[in-house]
Amino acid sequence: MEKQGEFKSITLNFGPQHPAAHGVLRLILELDGEIIERADPHIGLLHRGTEKLIENKTYLQAVPYFDRLDYVSPMCQEHAFALSVERLLKCEVPIRAKYIRVLFSELTRILNHCLNIATQALDVGATTPLLWLFEEREKIMEFYEQVSGSRMHSAYFRPGGVAQDLPNGMLERIEEFVDNFPKILADTETLLTDSRVWKQRLVDVGVVTPQQAQDWGFSGPMLRGSCIPWDLRKSQPYEVYAKMDFDIPVGRNGDCYDRYLIRVEEMYQSIRIIKQCIREIPEGEVKSLDRKISPPPRVEMKHSMEALIHHFKLYTEGYSVPAGEAYAAVEAPKGEFGVYLVSDGTNKPYRCRIKAPGFAHLQGLDFMSKGHMLADVVTIIGSLDVVFGEIDR
Amino acid sequence: MKAKQLQKLSSTLQKEVGNDIYCDVDTDFLIVRLNNQKIITTLLSLLKDHPDFLCSILTDLFVIDYPEHTQRFNVVYNLLSIKHNFRVVIKVGIDDDNIDTVIKVHSCASWYEREAWDMYGVKFNHHPDLRRILTDYGFEGHPLRKDFPLTGYKEVRYDLEQKKVIYEPVNLTQEFRTFDFLSPWEGTQYVLPGDEKAKEQK
Amino acid sequence: MSKAPLTSSLDQDLVLSEFNDTVNNRGYVLTTLDDLSGWARSGSLWPMTFGLACCAVEMMQCAASRYDMDRFGLLFRPSPRQSDLMIVSGTLTNKMAPALRKVYDQMAEPRYVISMGSCANGGGYYHYSYSVVRGCDRIVPVDVYVPGCPPTAEALLYGVMLLKRKIKRLNKFSR
Repeated sequence: MEKQGEFKSITLNFGPQHPAAHGVLRLILELDGEIIERADPHIGLLHRGTEKLIENKTYLQAVPYFDRLDYVSPMCQEHAFALSVERLLKCEVPIRAKYIRVLFSELTRILNHCLNIATQALDVGATTPLLWLFEEREKIMEFYEQVSGSRMHSAYFRPGGVAQDLPNGMLERIEEFVDNFPKILADTETLLTDSRVWKQRLVDVGVVTPQQAQDWGFSGPMLRGSCIPWDLRKSQPYEVYAKMDFDIPVGRNGDCYDRYLIRVEEMYQSIRIIKQCIREIPEGEVKSLDRKISPPPRVEMKHSMEALIHHFKLYTEGYSVPAGEAYAAVEAPKGEFGVYLVSDGTNKPYRCRIKAPGFAHLQGLDFMSKGHMLADVVTIIGSLDVVFGEIDR
Repeated sequence: MKAKQLQKLSSTLQKEVGNDIYCDVDTDFLIVRLNNQKIITTLLSLLKDHPDFLCSILTDLFVIDYPEHTQRFNVVYNLLSIKHNFRVVIKVGIDDDNIDTVIKVHSCASWYEREAWDMYGVKFNHHPDLRRILTDYGFEGHPLRKDFPLTGYKEVRYDLEQKKVIYEPVNLTQEFRTFDFLSPWEGTQYVLPGDEKAKEQK
Repeated sequence: MSKAPLTSSLDQDLVLSEFNDTVNNRGYVLTTLDDLSGWARSGSLWPMTFGLACCAVEMMQCAASRYDMDRFGLLFRPSPRQSDLMIVSGTLTNKMAPALRKVYDQMAEPRYVISMGSCANGGGYYHYSYSVVRGCDRIVPVDVYVPGCPPTAEALLYGVMLLKRKIKRLNKFSR
């Protein structure tokens, strides 16, 4: 029988309040039955004006804004800001601080990938990985709390080094955690990796060819999932990554399943890096000794006049950064997170541009979800690993 | 990438394009200062396709606002070459607040240009869909410009009579306190609330 | 029964054993309708997933295995029509405010709101920004404010327990 009449596609509002929207995403979908014809993401529902606020604060006061950008992997953002300010300041970061930064960056990577896999599994329909992996997240958040005082937004990586040294026994506790973690990850993998249902939902969904990945500005696991072996830790190493021995997983098909496997493997590699860090970390300073940049210890501040003046000037006026521009990017768990800092010589940044990986990834949602069904959109959003704190800033 | 290789790339690019650009090397970046905004699309496609460069990824596209300069807005393009492992930063000062879109060369420029329009008011010619992306639906003004106040002009509350969310002029209980530390000897530049009449009396 | 919380475990045992005796011996228990509805409402508060920003992650941590919210009767529901608690967690922006109000209006009475985190309490870290609502209480009426940036999962749990006490105390069955 011939089909008669005209067809109009349905416009569906995948609203800002949605359990699978990963934050505040308003997605306007045009559907032909169940097949997606066009997806138009409306972002900006979490636009807080971070860049404008940073322009009115000193460099030290700007550090906590970066924690709140990608709030599932807080320390990596601070890392990018610290690197770009240090590039302008041309200051030396002590070697112990570099090892601590790498250690916590890798812990943050595990933190992020745990949440991503757990919530992606929850969206697709599996509830158990969330309960298992969130307990691991709690253990890592305990480490954050021991080292900085706060479970999530730590303001720990500062230009010049890190805020404080590791407490006693910290390295042993991290080692214990890292010894137990692969077992939990292997348990989660038995639930997901070889499961027929998981594979049916994820294989061949959201395929990205290498040309498309580069054209749309992807980075991180999105790029590696499409067979492009690019990782900033290996190609443009920063801190002590050049001394670390680890592998980069690269996918073949560019679909959601490959990206999931990449994230799981990255967690195993992070464990390797953490173990090396714990073995090789030297004793020493954790902050730059230049008192014009990093504050003196409190004991010294109470006894020495110069230290008191330095403390006062640093916490009221802040340090002035020489005029210039610098771009520093880190391999954040979601992709390449970069900070382009323009300084005019005063104590406040002139322009601080935040390059978030999620912004480019979410743009790709349109072409990735064409021809797929409505349930696949949820899988694709989970696989893109988007967090609206960094997209909307 | 080593500085010598970057220097070579810099001279290659200068020869290819000619007088419209000025190339320089800064630590591990190739900095290109573009004087003629009309050739931006050809420059980016050259950088993408030329075998020495192969800058296939547009990492970032944003605007810097210099209110005192004649060309107020500078558009900055941040490119990455995966094959040769180096970055290029292209800065172009624009006249009349508009410049051609580069969406034909890099598709990801779509949202970056929308954000530049939203935040600064820089118009991108031939962009298929230039509308607000980050700010509110009926927002007026371009927030990241230096003359736009930090707190904005409108704020939001729910009105019980009209039974909807309404927009009102901003009324802060405590102003944003910004301290001017750079001129301790010349005196402060800001006027404290309540001091307006004192200045007149002087 | 007195409404003050019993602190000593001996007192608690005494009251509980009295209660158990009456139920076992007589088969019925006397209470007021207000108390009963207060007990029912606070014992099974179903929150709606309204995670906006960073506080949403702490809310998820609260609902996960360590600080399990489910043992207090809190079961996260995706739809506002099926929930009676909204935990506004994260920064509320001007663009999101109408959506928040719409979702609040879709909830059925009795409904409660917990404002979680300093951004929802009063604008927080982004108070002076041009696109942030200075406190979600400009849009919806709030019952409990949980301070912190972000409040730890324990703090949110404490806030929920305070809300349960408030419901038991201020509950009026006839509206």
